[in-house]
Amino acid sequence: MTGLRRLRVVLWVLVAIAAAGAAFLAFGPRFAPANAGEAIYAKPFSLVNQDGAPVTQADFLGKPSAWFYGFTHCPDVCPTALAEMSAILEALGPDADKLQVVFVSVDPERDTPEIMKDYVEYFDARIDGLTGDLAQVSTMAQDRYIFFEKVPMEDGDYQMEHQASIQLVDAEGRFFGTLAAEESFDVRLAKIRRLIDEG
Amino acid sequence: MKIALGLALIGILAASPAVAHDFTQVSIYLDHPMIEEAPPNAPVLGGYLSIQNMGDVDDRLIAIESPAAEKVEMHRSTVTDGIARMQPMAEGLLVPAGQTVWLDDGMHAMFVKPAQRYRVGDEVPATLVFEKAGRIDVTFKVEERTAGAGASHEGHGQ
Repeated sequence: MTGLRRLRVVLWVLVAIAAAGAAFLAFGPRFAPANAGEAIYAKPFSLVNQDGAPVTQADFLGKPSAWFYGFTHCPDVCPTALAEMSAILEALGPDADKLQVVFVSVDPERDTPEIMKDYVEYFDARIDGLTGDLAQVSTMAQDRYIFFEKVPMEDGDYQMEHQASIQLVDAEGRFFGTLAAEESFDVRLAKIRRLIDEG
Repeated sequence: MKIALGLALIGILAASPAVAHDFTQVSIYLDHPMIEEAPPNAPVLGGYLSIQNMGDVDDRLIAIESPAAEKVEMHRSTVTDGIARMQPMAEGLLVPAGQTVWLDDGMHAMFVKPAQRYRVGDEVPATLVFEKAGRIDVTFKVEERTAGAGASHEGHGQ
């Protein structure tokens, strides 16, 4: 008898512990990565678009967006990424209106708004091409965990090393995912559709 | 269809008179030299081709020249850990005997500051300089950029 009662007490104690644990998980502090859910794309910046008009972070919030960081002295990775984004905009049809595609120059010293205009509009006039002050681009890249670096060449020229993947961002400016170079077109398109539906 | 745009056969005389009749033959076939069309004012164009060494000695592509650009550089571009990088191929491109190598995905001839705008269908003259085969003139044809499903240069060697 006493053994059974003791067991009953122990079981009730366990129930209490479980309930406290559940309450802690439900209402306690969230153990998410420090920057998950942080709207890093809502951090302030001030650049110019391909028409030379000033743009800020506010111009790219309110609908999901896809960002690529590259430069025009780039014979393969950058034009391929832009050509593929253009193909995705085509494939989206009318849904393309629900997405903003942005190409940011990490080489603003050479990429003037005029160069950016011809460059992005060759691929798709719906793509925004941003350039401007190098310090602004650097701050933006830092805020968004985007890598780029100038690499001098022997002949005095230089190249840029840069993030190769396209960054997907939700309407509130939160990081949503990436499109990687090795993915098939169908995978990229599916990711973009999910961004439009959920982001 | 294979288009052999350049064929170089040269005999390299051995240094010693005793083996003066010995010679080694280098034959280089260049296949499908193409440039991907770029935006109107693009400061660089990417050129690609495959190089087949039918001979029995290794050769090396050491330079590319073209009157259509300020200079032509050979680059290897890589995407590692999500970062795109481009490095000059300082050693050129080795074309081992009996093998075909592609100046293609990952490697390209970069035509810097093209003299004019080149559109699909245009032809861009160039000269490939090999260590042994010497200078071979080629014509890079400007083609549409591949995008969307199956974007790559696969099949260019065929």
